[in-house]
Amino acid sequence: MSCHRAFAEIKEKTDLTIALAGNPNVGKSCVFNQLTGLNVVTANYPGKTVELNMGVTAHNGVKIGIMDLPGTYALSAFSDDQWVARRGVLENRPDVVVIVVDACNLQRNLYMVLQFLELGFPLVVDLNLIDYAAKIGLKIDHEKLSELLGVPVVPTVAIRGEGIKELIQKAIDLAQRKVKHTSHQIEYGRDMEQAVQTLEETIGKYMPKTPYDLPSRALAIQLLEGDPEFTQILKEGESDERRGKQQRWRHRWRGGRPSQQEILQLSVSLAKQIEEKHGEPVGVRIARERHDLAGTIANAVQVRVKQPTLLSEKLKHYSVAPYTGIPLMISVLIGVFAFIFFVGSLLSGAVDSFWGSFISPSMNWLIYSLIQNATLTRIVLWGIDAGVLAWLSVGVPYVLTFYIVLSLLEDSGYLNSVAFLTDNIMHKLGLHGRAIIPILTGAGCNVPAIMGTRVLTTKRERILASTLIVLVPCSARTAVILGAVASFMGLFYAILIFAFEVALIGLVGLGLHRLLPGESSGLVMEMFPFRTPSVSAIAKKTWFRFKDFAFVAFPIVTLGSLVLGVLYETKYLGLIVDPLQPVVQGLLGLPAVAGIALILGILRKELTLELLVALAIVQYGATAQNLLVFMTPLQIFVFALVVTIYIPCVATVAVLGKELGWRNALFIMGFTIALALVVGGLAYRTLPYILPMR
Amino acid sequence: MSRAEEVSATIEEYLEAIYTLQERNGSAKTTELAKRLRVVLGTITNTIESMEKQNLIVHEPYKGVKLTAKGRKMALDVVRRHRLSERLLTDILRLEWSKAHDVACKLEHAITGEDVIKPLEKALGHPKTCPHGNPIPTESGRLAEEKSEPMTNLSPRESGVIVKITDERHDMLQYLATLGLVPGASVSIEEKAPFNGPIIVKVMSASYALGQNVASVIWVKKSEATATLGG
Repeated sequence: MSCHRAFAEIKEKTDLTIALAGNPNVGKSCVFNQLTGLNVVTANYPGKTVELNMGVTAHNGVKIGIMDLPGTYALSAFSDDQWVARRGVLENRPDVVVIVVDACNLQRNLYMVLQFLELGFPLVVDLNLIDYAAKIGLKIDHEKLSELLGVPVVPTVAIRGEGIKELIQKAIDLAQRKVKHTSHQIEYGRDMEQAVQTLEETIGKYMPKTPYDLPSRALAIQLLEGDPEFTQILKEGESDERRGKQQRWRHRWRGGRPSQQEILQLSVSLAKQIEEKHGEPVGVRIARERHDLAGTIANAVQVRVKQPTLLSEKLKHYSVAPYTGIPLMISVLIGVFAFIFFVGSLLSGAVDSFWGSFISPSMNWLIYSLIQNATLTRIVLWGIDAGVLAWLSVGVPYVLTFYIVLSLLEDSGYLNSVAFLTDNIMHKLGLHGRAIIPILTGAGCNVPAIMGTRVLTTKRERILASTLIVLVPCSARTAVILGAVASFMGLFYAILIFAFEVALIGLVGLGLHRLLPGESSGLVMEMFPFRTPSVSAIAKKTWFRFKDFAFVAFPIVTLGSLVLGVLYETKYLGLIVDPLQPVVQGLLGLPAVAGIALILGILRKELTLELLVALAIVQYGATAQNLLVFMTPLQIFVFALVVTIYIPCVATVAVLGKELGWRNALFIMGFTIALALVVGGLAYRTLPYILPMR
Repeated sequence: MSRAEEVSATIEEYLEAIYTLQERNGSAKTTELAKRLRVVLGTITNTIESMEKQNLIVHEPYKGVKLTAKGRKMALDVVRRHRLSERLLTDILRLEWSKAHDVACKLEHAITGEDVIKPLEKALGHPKTCPHGNPIPTESGRLAEEKSEPMTNLSPRESGVIVKITDERHDMLQYLATLGLVPGASVSIEEKAPFNGPIIVKVMSASYALGQNVASVIWVKKSEATATLGG
């Protein structure tokens, strides 16, 4: 849904609207979660990957619509997240903006507060993490801060809900006063201020209608900064004016009214004067002055009562220092995966036996009595019995558990340390440290992981990361590796397959980075101290990731199961599979039944193993339950290897197509097939000489 | 410059690229040179050879190429024309910053000879720096610069003041500026990953991890005193 329409709908339903703004990692989503329930609408601007969340709440009988802006450090139009945050407030005109700031890091956080003040928004400052500030020995006079900024300031501990009611009350009070623009002004240094005022007066006099109804001072600053969006708006406005030249030229002559083009020219020449005098671009100059002002305000309101000797800061140091950080990272990752496999297999076993003994038989009976046709019943059961069971026994135990742990690591701040430590390796693959988060997410399910590549800035990085993600064995593929290789060959060989995968990801990354045109951008990431994560934020984050698995991957996969059922029950399978036999038997050295399992595995990866067994039973009798009856250990190994590499699954392909375009999706698909055939063929031919395998 | 010494636009491009890379890394690796010039590695070899013959550069195996005194003088001349072209494009023709660099790459080869450049410099009001803050070499090829080094040279717990940022991408400059990474800002290095990994730098009260390629364009003047904690 488009942002404007989504918000217009919320505006209609509610008495007043609030936009939540703030830097990343200041507890903004925590505030949003405190205020709203699960009923959140997500909207995005066309062509932009950053989303806006909107929700509704009520306080003392007042219905309030809330828009959660993406967490940003500033409000410019230079990056997607900042663009969306700015456009979100400018276009939708919320009645009041609540800006969440980190009390531990006031100077940096005040930068954006100053920008919002400049834009003239009625503002309430939420001084969050006040408990942490006390812990690191900072005492902040919030009343003085309020006085200096000229806006209400409410100290909160959002994670515990402290101060949130007061915050909302302050926001309602301000909104009900219906001020259009705040009058409080930030003054710049003498030269800058003169330039701003000159431009402001010209705009005030000659531009009765400013874009987005901005105060003329705000527009003046934006133009001086060389903001691309407003410069463009003024340029285009000019061409409209030219079209109406016939009527207007007389007026322009008499009134001496400068055109928008001339205002633009004035701003450029003013900017040049400052640039010459101070020897730096105006944008940088303005940023510097804002930082200075933020620093002055911060220093005036905060006192350091003691030096910080925080355990969390020491831990942070150990987590990034090379000699302690790398061993720690490896043990944490091993611990996480061990934990997930342990908990996951326990839960999965419980789900399986429950389903098998209660749901499956009754569903079987119910559907047969409804349809009265054995074949049709079996087809339907493929979809809703086997399909739903797979969702329950892979999705919930493995994917959900994984995402809870991942969100915990992310919100505690530990993943930032991982990103720091892996930046170097990622850089060699054409990515940077931040890409580690979506790549790890891929071990749960590839679908949310590919959506998670939106944190990367360039299309090139997204294609690179997505290709690597597709090679990360997800829960479904891990189930095949464990079920086939670990059960029949031993854990060593299962770990060997994972090691193979990691090496392959590295090689493919190296190769693609060389082949794809373009350069990789660099890592710029805030390192914030470790924090206790909030339960609600983790729950919500887990839910958002799991939702992609549940609502995007699951329906496609269930439908795939149905198609599979039709093909299987009607015996049309052979038509598709037969032509591929030379590849399967000749190149990969696998038995013919494995070919069918591989083809159908495109629909559902975890089914490849079940199918293999089911088909083998038909062919070789009931003893084929044991894979070793009809396959050698080498064949089992090659089978598992190929399953993990070739085309992820229909759901992943669908998401790739949606996120990166169909050309790239097809490219990635073709690439993985080729890779699987090459690696599988090589393994079949060389492994017997290297490893003891019969 | 006499006719015989006149160099082709290609060689000028190479000189400029080698100069920039050498300023940053001490020498110019051929792979990096290829990336910067957007050509494949194979095409570079010929030009490099002919430049070596003209005594413009020296080739050091495994390290890449370095400018000779003659090469450096010519490179500075190209840099001077490039940065003045950028000024011309932004100040007089009002081109956007982000576009100026690419256009200047072409323009710089057309305006040669001091009889054109001098009037241009005068018309522009003798600017000291290009629009991105990098110094414009004088006619005699001298650069007025403060002594500084890339942030990546500093060790953990050392601190300094940012002198300049040699990245010419507008959005990158602006983004770094919003984080407080502007010339004049005090920074201290908190952590440095081994093998040319990223560094963690503290500016004001916040810490940022910066990749090697970002940190190496931020030049700082090292301060003698050790960094103090907190803000």
